[in-house]
Formats: sequence, structure tokens, C-alpha cells
Amino acid sequence: MVPLPYVLGLAALLFSLGLYGVLTQRNAVRILMAIELMLNSVNLNLVGFARYLEPDRPGGQLFAIFVMTVAAAEVAVALAIILVIAHRRDDVDIDKINLLKW
Amino acid sequence: MAVTGMNFTLLLPELILVATGILLVLLDLFTEQKRVLVYAGLAGVLASLLALIPGFGTTASIWADMIQVDSLAGFFKIVFLAVTALALLVSLEYVERRQIQAGEFYALLIFATVGMFLMASSLNLLVIYLGLELVAIASYALVGLLKQDGRSVEASIKYLLVSSATSAVFLFGISLVYGTTGSLALPQIAQALAAGAASQPVLFAGMLFLLAGLAFKVAAFPFHMWAPDTYEGSPTPISAFLITGAEAAGFAALLRVFLVGLPGLADAWTTIFAALSVLTMTYGNVTAISQTKIKRLMAYSAIAQAGYVLVGLAVATGQGTAAMLYYLLVYAFMTVGAFAVIILVANSGAGEEISDFRGLSQRSPFFAWALVIYFLSLIGIPPTAGFFGKLNLFSAAIAADMTWLAVVMVINSVISAPYYFKVIRTMFLEEAAEAEPVRAPASLTWATAITLVVTILLGLVPDQVYSWVRLVAGAL
Repeated sequence: MVPLPYVLGLAALLFSLGLYGVLTQRNAVRILMAIELMLNSVNLNLVGFARYLEPDRPGGQLFAIFVMTVAAAEVAVALAIILVIAHRRDDVDIDKINLLKW
Repeated sequence: MAVTGMNFTLLLPELILVATGILLVLLDLFTEQKRVLVYAGLAGVLASLLALIPGFGTTASIWADMIQVDSLAGFFKIVFLAVTALALLVSLEYVERRQIQAGEFYALLIFATVGMFLMASSLNLLVIYLGLELVAIASYALVGLLKQDGRSVEASIKYLLVSSATSAVFLFGISLVYGTTGSLALPQIAQALAAGAASQPVLFAGMLFLLAGLAFKVAAFPFHMWAPDTYEGSPTPISAFLITGAEAAGFAALLRVFLVGLPGLADAWTTIFAALSVLTMTYGNVTAISQTKIKRLMAYSAIAQAGYVLVGLAVATGQGTAAMLYYLLVYAFMTVGAFAVIILVANSGAGEEISDFRGLSQRSPFFAWALVIYFLSLIGIPPTAGFFGKLNLFSAAIAADMTWLAVVMVINSVISAPYYFKVIRTMFLEEAAEAEPVRAPASLTWATAITLVVTILLGLVPDQVYSWVRLVAGAL
């Protein structure tokens, strides 16, 4: 069995990578992908903890399934909005989406 | 697992709302008269309010402890239903004029309300997260429904990217807290904390992640940057709905998570909340001064008001909680009222700049005076409701030996006065470009009259309501 610290370390690494992506990427679709990385690191954490804390109860795994479902719904709405933007202009570079400022 | 916890009577308000939402989608297919949707929505909200009555005063944990029915949940549900009803009223004319798809608009509004219900009525982190996402996903779509307006779509994508990233942060916090305490239920988490888990650094990190995630939802500085853009770009009734309803839901979740789940770390998070509160109110008020667009001004004002409400969490006493609840209630009514006037001006053909309010006192004296009362209430001038809201927070801070925080609040109220008065001066002292009276639809008049009466009543006779919120806060 993989020791828990390995799982948590990988999750933390994935989360940091995702956060880095969210902060540095300029393309809306890429930012979405980075957010997915963050969510998957959470899933890894939840499943890893569940395996060690309560191997006979499905608490953590259950939560991970919910996270995946919600993420799918979120991406569906996100892509719809990105499509609307892509129809109005050719790219989805968030630096150029700048009508709102003071 | 036992099914004895299946109690449909206590879950009836949520079920009625879900049914109403589905009904609205179906009705939209069969009728050309989109006003019918608003009436059906209002009927659903009223039915849900009536369904709250049987469960009132009971405290029960149903559906395998996933849903908590208690007086705090009851209080917030009343606030959410009031906000939704008012949002439906002020949307009626707006949706017709802007040619928004009515079925989607009203149904999503109702579904977002269901999400708020879940956020306020659970002691389980899983359900709180699901409620939060239900509100969020419904509002991404609502914010972007003005598809022909580039600003609306831009507001939507910004809101979506920031909000889903912070949801991931919130989730990471949940996973760490789950890992260190072994439970997703807040009471069990509190037990594990009391039993000695509090000293773990991982748990502390989890608490910080939870705090950051929820601070985003209530637009607290420095997690506020999505708020002005989102509130400016979205359809105006949705700005009102999100500023009042979604923010109140965020505070409900904050109260549950921190007061019920993490009281063992109170020393740490009260300090953080005090700092956030000071920064948030000061930033909001100072930035609002230079705004020229009314919706952006209301957005920064909302950030400042969130700072005032955070005082209740910084003191972390029963009195502080009661003051928070009272302020959120008052805030919901005065803000939706102010937005009703903004919608009226926007509908009359003028835009959403502050200069578009020129001469409103001649064009429509009732709405001009109504806006004056809402603004006096937002500043906190007696005898309006906002004054008692602030007074309660103020005395809660003093009672908890945080006089400095109370002083910062008062200074901030003074800073906030000029930008509200700027709008009032524009309405009363500057000549209108066109002198003809503004035509006010009945729905907006009703929404304004209701919010006006509540804003004044909660200021004139605050004691009954305050003693009720004291009870609610005591039961937390």
C-alpha cells in the first residue's frame, strides 16, 4: 500500500500546479484546465484520507464522486460562456476581456 | 443505514422551491405571456414560506444528519425567500425590456435560492459545498444572460473563473479538515478539536483554506476583486440578488463552519476576521468615493457592508451573531430597495451612471425620497433600520472588549457618507436633462413600498425583531 504522505504530497503538488496555472495562464480554457487540476488534487486527498481513516466507510470516496459531478456541471456552464465570448471575438484571452474597469 | 430520518415535512420548503423551478421551465414552453412566470414564481415562494411554519422552532437533524432544521436555518430561509420574492418583482419589467429569456432567468433564480437554503441548513461540509455550488453555477448563467451585452458575458466569465478556483481552495480546506478530524460533520469536527486535534498544523492550514474560500463568497478584502466587475456587468436585478442573497448565504455558511465546527481554533480566526473586517470596510468605502457608475458604487458599498457584518464574526459572541443576523436582514431590504430605484432609472431610458439620476426628485419624487431613505439607512443614520443594525454590531464589539474595532466602524460610517450624498445631491440639486415624469410600473412601486416600510419599521420598532434574532443566535 502506498504510504499516506506520498498521496498527500502528490495532492499538494497538483494543487500548487493548478493554482500556479490559474494565476499565470491567460487563456480561459487553460485556466479551466488548471482549476480541474486543483479539484483533482482535492479528490486525491479525500480518497487518500478515507483509505486510512475509515477504510470500512465510504465518506471520503463519496465526497470525491460529488466533486467530480459538480466539476462536470461547472465545466459545462463555463464552456457555454466561453463559446459566447468566442462568437463575439476570435480569442478567449482574458487580458483582452476588459470592458469592465474603473 | 436507517430510513427513519426521512422527514419530508421538514424538507417541504426546499421541495416546493425545486418543484416551482421545474414548473417555471415547463410553463415557459407553453406560454407567450412571460409575466405568468413571475406570478407562478411568487406563488412558489409564498408556498415555501408557508411550508416553513410547521418546522418553526423545532430543531431536528434529518436525512442521515445531512440537513439541519433549526431556528438559524429558519431565519436565513425567511431572508432568502424575501430576497427572491423582491428580485422576482424588480425583474418583471427588466426582463421584458432587455429581452432576456424569461424561463431560464426565473427558474435559475429559484434554483439559486434552493442552493442558499442548503448552505444555511446543514451541519455537513458536503452539503454546504453542494449548496454553495448550486448557488454559484446558477448565478454564472444568470450573470451572463444579457448575451448581446459584452459586459454581461465578461462579468460572467470573470465570476466563473474566480469563483470555481476559490471553490477548489474551499474544497482543499475541507479535505484537510476531514483528514485531521476524520469527519465531515461539523459537530464531530468540533469534538475532535476539543479532544486535541486543534494543535495540528495541517488542521490550521485547512481552517485557513476554508476561511479564504468563504471570504471570497462574501467579497471580503483581499478576496473581493471579482465583485465590482460581476455586480456591474450582470443584469441589475441579479446584482441585487447576489449582493443580498448570495452574500447572506455566504455568511450563514461562515457562521456554521466557524462557530459550530471550529470553535477550538477561535483564538486564531477571530484575529483574522477582525483584520479582514477592518480592511474590507475601509477598502470598500474609500474606493466607492471615486466611482461614477451607480452599480459599481453599490458594489463597493456592498464590500464595505460585508466588512461591517464581519465584525460579528470577529467578536464571536452570541451578541455578535445576533447583530450580524439583524444587519443581514436589514441590509437585504435596503439594498434591494435601492436597486429597485436603479432599475427604474435604467428602464426610463437613462443609463446607469450617477449623472443619470439628475433631477430625479422632480421626475419621480416618491422614488427619489425612497432612495434617500435607503442611503441614510446604509450610512447608518437614525431612525432608519441601518442605524440599529450598526448600533448592534457596535455594542457587540464593545461588549467583547474590542473598542478599537467599534471606533473603526464609526470612522468608516463617516467616510461612507460623502459618496451616498453625492447621489442624493445629484437627484435633488441638479436639473434633469428631460423633465417628463418617470413612468413607474406597479411591480417596482410594490417592491419599493415593501422595502421602504420594512426599512423604516425595523428602525422604529427594532426591539421585537432583535429579541427574535437573539433567540436564533442563542440556539446556534
